[in-house]
Amino acid sequence: MTEMEFSPESSYAPGPSTTNLAEILERVLDKGIVIAGDIKIDLLDIELLTIRLRLFISSVETAKKAGIDWWETDPALSSRAAEHSLALENKELREKVEALERKASRASRSPRRRAEEDS
Amino acid sequence: MLPLDEGLWAVTQEVPAAEFTEDALRSRLADQRQLEESARTHHAVVTAASADGPVVPLPLATLFTDPHRAQAALNDQRPRFLAALDRLTGRTEWAVKVYLRQRGEGRGEAPASSTSTAEASGQAYLKRVRDRDQQCRARQDAALNAARHVHDVAAGYAVASVQRRPHGPEITGRDRTQTLNAAYLVDDAQAPRLVAAMRALGHAPSEAEVEVSGPWVPYSFAEAPDAAPGAGGIGV
Repeated sequence: MTEMEFSPESSYAPGPSTTNLAEILERVLDKGIVIAGDIKIDLLDIELLTIRLRLFISSVETAKKAGIDWWETDPALSSRAAEHSLALENKELREKVEALERKASRASRSPRRRAEEDS
Repeated sequence: MLPLDEGLWAVTQEVPAAEFTEDALRSRLADQRQLEESARTHHAVVTAASADGPVVPLPLATLFTDPHRAQAALNDQRPRFLAALDRLTGRTEWAVKVYLRQRGEGRGEAPASSTSTAEASGQAYLKRVRDRDQQCRARQDAALNAARHVHDVAAGYAVASVQRRPHGPEITGRDRTQTLNAAYLVDDAQAPRLVAAMRALGHAPSEAEVEVSGPWVPYSFAEAPDAAPGAGGIGV
C-alpha cells in the first residue's frame, strides 16, 4: 500500500484550504448512506483507516503533550475514563513513593558517610 | 441522472472500468493529491445537486458495473433514502470547531532539580509534582468546559449532533489545539441564529477560538441515528 503522508513535515501547510480539505474528507469518505457497490468498498475502509490514523494519531499525541487529553478521559467520550483515572492515581502514588524512597536513602546514607570519614 | 422508483433520481457518472478496478482505486485513493481531487469533485457534485432539492450523499467511489446494476441496488435502498430525505429536507449541516491557543510555558520540566537541601527536596519535589498536576488538570478542565459550553449552545439550535475526534496539528497549526470538532443538523430557520451565537462565543474574551462553517449538505446525518456506522450494507 502506498504510504500516505499527513505528517507535519510534509507539504501540507496549515491554512483555511487544508482545514477545509479535512472537513471534506471526513464527510465525503465515511459519511452518507453506505450501500454495497460492485467494486468492493471494504477496500476503502482500509484506506480510510490509514488516513484516519494519520490524521488522528498525531492529534492525540500532541494533545497529550499539551496536557489536554480530556477527550480520552471524559466519561462522555470514552469508557476508558475510569481505568485511566486509576492509572493516573497509581502513577501519582508511585511518584510519591519514589520520592520518599529517595529521601529515605539519602537520610540513611549521610550518617554512614560521616562514620566513614571519622574512621 | 439515473431514474429510480418513486420519483427518486441518482446522480451518476460513467467511468472506464479499467481505471476503477480494486487495485486502481486503491492506488488512486492512497495518493494524497488524487484523493484530494476526488473528494473535492465529489463534494462539488453533491453540493451542486443540493441546489435543486434535498440530496442524500453516498460515500466517495460507490461503484456499480453497469446502470442496471446501479438502478437495482439503489432501488433496494429506497426506504433508507426516503427516510433520510424526510430527515434532511429543510435542514443543513454546520460544522463547529473550538481551538485552544497554546501558551508558551513549558510542560514536563524535570521535577527533581536539586538546588535545595536534601531535607527539603523531598517535600519540594512533592509540591512541584502536585502543582504541575494541578495546573495540568486546571487547564484540561478549562478546555473541557469551554468546548462543552460551545457544544451546549450549538446543540440548542440543532436537531442532531455528532462529535468527531479533533484534528491534529498538521491541520490546525502548531500553535493551537482543537478541542471540539462537531457537526450539527440545523433547521434552515435556525441556521442564522446558530451562526450568530457561535460568532458571539468566538468574540467573547477567552483562550478559546470558535470556528463555524456551513451550510454543508448533511453528510454526517444521512444515516439513521440508530444505525451503527458502517454496519449493514458493506460487503453483504
